[in-house]
Amino acid sequence: MEYLSLFVKSIFVDNMIFAYFLGMCSYLAVSKNVKTANGLGIAVIFVLLITLPVNYLLNKFVLQPGALSWLGESFANVDLSFLSFILFIAVIAAIVQVVEMVVEKFLPSLYSSLGIFLPLIAVNCAILGGSLFMQQRDFAGFGEATVYALGSGIGWYLAIVTLAAIREKMAYSNVPSALKGTGIAFITVGLMGIAFMAFMGISL
Amino acid sequence: MAQKLKETILNPILKGNPITVLILGVCSSLAVTVELKGACVMALSVIIVTGVSSLICSLLRKTIPNRARIIIQLVVVAMMVILVDQVLKAFAYAIDKQLSVYIGLIITNCIVMGRIEAFALGNKPWPSLLDGVANGVGYGLILVIVAFFRELLGSGTLFGFPVLSSLGYVNNGLMILPPMALILIGCIIWVHRSIDKSLQEK
Amino acid sequence: MNTNSNVYTVIYTTLICVIVAAVLAFASQSLKPKQDANEKAETIRQILTAAQFEFDASSNEAILGFYKSNIAEAFLVDADGQKTGTLDTKTAQIYGVSDLKAQNYNIKGEADYNLPVYIFKNGTTALPIYGAGLWGPVWGYIALDSSCTQIAGAYFDHESETPGLGGKIKDDPEFRAQFAGKTVNTADDVPFHIVKGGAPAGQTNAIDAISGATMTSKGLDEAINIWLKAYSNYAAAANNTTEEE
Repeated sequence: MEYLSLFVKSIFVDNMIFAYFLGMCSYLAVSKNVKTANGLGIAVIFVLLITLPVNYLLNKFVLQPGALSWLGESFANVDLSFLSFILFIAVIAAIVQVVEMVVEKFLPSLYSSLGIFLPLIAVNCAILGGSLFMQQRDFAGFGEATVYALGSGIGWYLAIVTLAAIREKMAYSNVPSALKGTGIAFITVGLMGIAFMAFMGISL
Repeated sequence: MAQKLKETILNPILKGNPITVLILGVCSSLAVTVELKGACVMALSVIIVTGVSSLICSLLRKTIPNRARIIIQLVVVAMMVILVDQVLKAFAYAIDKQLSVYIGLIITNCIVMGRIEAFALGNKPWPSLLDGVANGVGYGLILVIVAFFRELLGSGTLFGFPVLSSLGYVNNGLMILPPMALILIGCIIWVHRSIDKSLQEK
Repeated sequence: MNTNSNVYTVIYTTLICVIVAAVLAFASQSLKPKQDANEKAETIRQILTAAQFEFDASSNEAILGFYKSNIAEAFLVDADGQKTGTLDTKTAQIYGVSDLKAQNYNIKGEADYNLPVYIFKNGTTALPIYGAGLWGPVWGYIALDSSCTQIAGAYFDHESETPGLGGKIKDDPEFRAQFAGKTVNTADDVPFHIVKGGAPAGQTNAIDAISGATMTSKGLDEAINIWLKAYSNYAAAANNTTEEE
């Protein structure tokens, strides 16, 4: 039950895009059509799903104060938390690199439509944010960290596909010519964000 | 050559602005534009970091293996930022207290890596440095404009000094919420593209 | 040279990572004494500010000197409110943020904990709190009178809350000023309330949350309550002694 409420919470209440406004750049730039948005969304779910548990283990057994005690008594007082930023980022970057190579090899058309935003998943704040939230909230176990990763990934995926669908429809509407494309997308996301604030008071 | 350099500097500020045209660095622009002071600090830090990290990656560009470039770029950028943070913490603690909030935002700012990927890896060190700095300036410009309106209308102050509130203005609480920054940037794009019609999308 | 070969890629990446780790470890080790001194002075400044002292904060020495001449005693208490150790006031020994973090693990993990209590010569007692804000940890100090029921003042700090929103817990003197004069009863299930949309008039153990910073306010509320509850046995004992006197 706890897993379920954490899952629902991470999708809607703690939505990466609308509650924390993380991962905005690629969100706005790659939401022109549903197909590409779909691809990026799945890539983000995938990267989150791998990096978060890995970083959880890193945090638990290497970084936390006293985490190294499994190496022996003399390591019990070592505090490596100043390395957490750089280690989390290194893990994320490594995974993103692998994803990039896989996509390039097997889905070349998606690769070219994502362009620079594929390597930029590495600096997608949603992913580092996920790891930092995980570190800060002290998830009770590996399972919780994984469920949280899946939930926030799906939340991000839903958000980008929704926006892409809206933007596809918007292409046929009479938007002032200077606002067409990017401009109206920013404003739409702003309005969606205000709407999503309704979820904020819900505690699960 | 001089013409090209001039373009490298001016382009990111006007025609190829990182936020409004390239859509890079949006997350941090939502977070730090509640007040002008924060926006200025962030703008300055990003100018320095984009400049120097573009320079370093440009110097390393011939040696970086293509398949591991993301890791290396990020590690280099993160190291620099953390190093500066550590040194400031030891010698200028008061300044560090102001900046430490932004450390995470700077490292994951897509402008830094976006410019390394798109420019520094294919260009000589000097133009890369200029490109980095100019992008930082273009980013800072938008940040300051958005922060100006958000602080003025949201809190009635500028740089913390009461401006509108002394005139009996009731603060608009909506302005301090992040979605309003998005809508403001949307408006900036509107104005920008009405003036420069070549940027309009079909 | 073929920069795309596997061997080169692996060696290059490893080399860069080792260099970076070495540079960071070296910097962090060699700068640590200076950083620690700065952090200690900052912590003491926060405790003193929470306790409503007016003092010269221009240098680390001035802050430490003022603290040493005004502190009466500083000690550690466990869950039962029993004294388990003392902090040396002559060297201005204190519990820093990392110590608070470690104790926060213990409180939440229901392990044994030892929490610091700072008592000043004018009777003010300062207690630390620690918890999670929106982006990172938030912590601070709550100064109480000697019976631990009335709040004299408070000071909060954070690692990475949004400037202008959550950051106001530290930067907005009006937010902090709300604490002065409020009451707490640590025996209550929820000793203190930070209320979104404004505290009801007349409620003496509640203050207004920061508008626009729901998550930070919530985190701070949780931190205050968890820590005050952890001190409840100590506070009850302190309350009894003052009543007997």
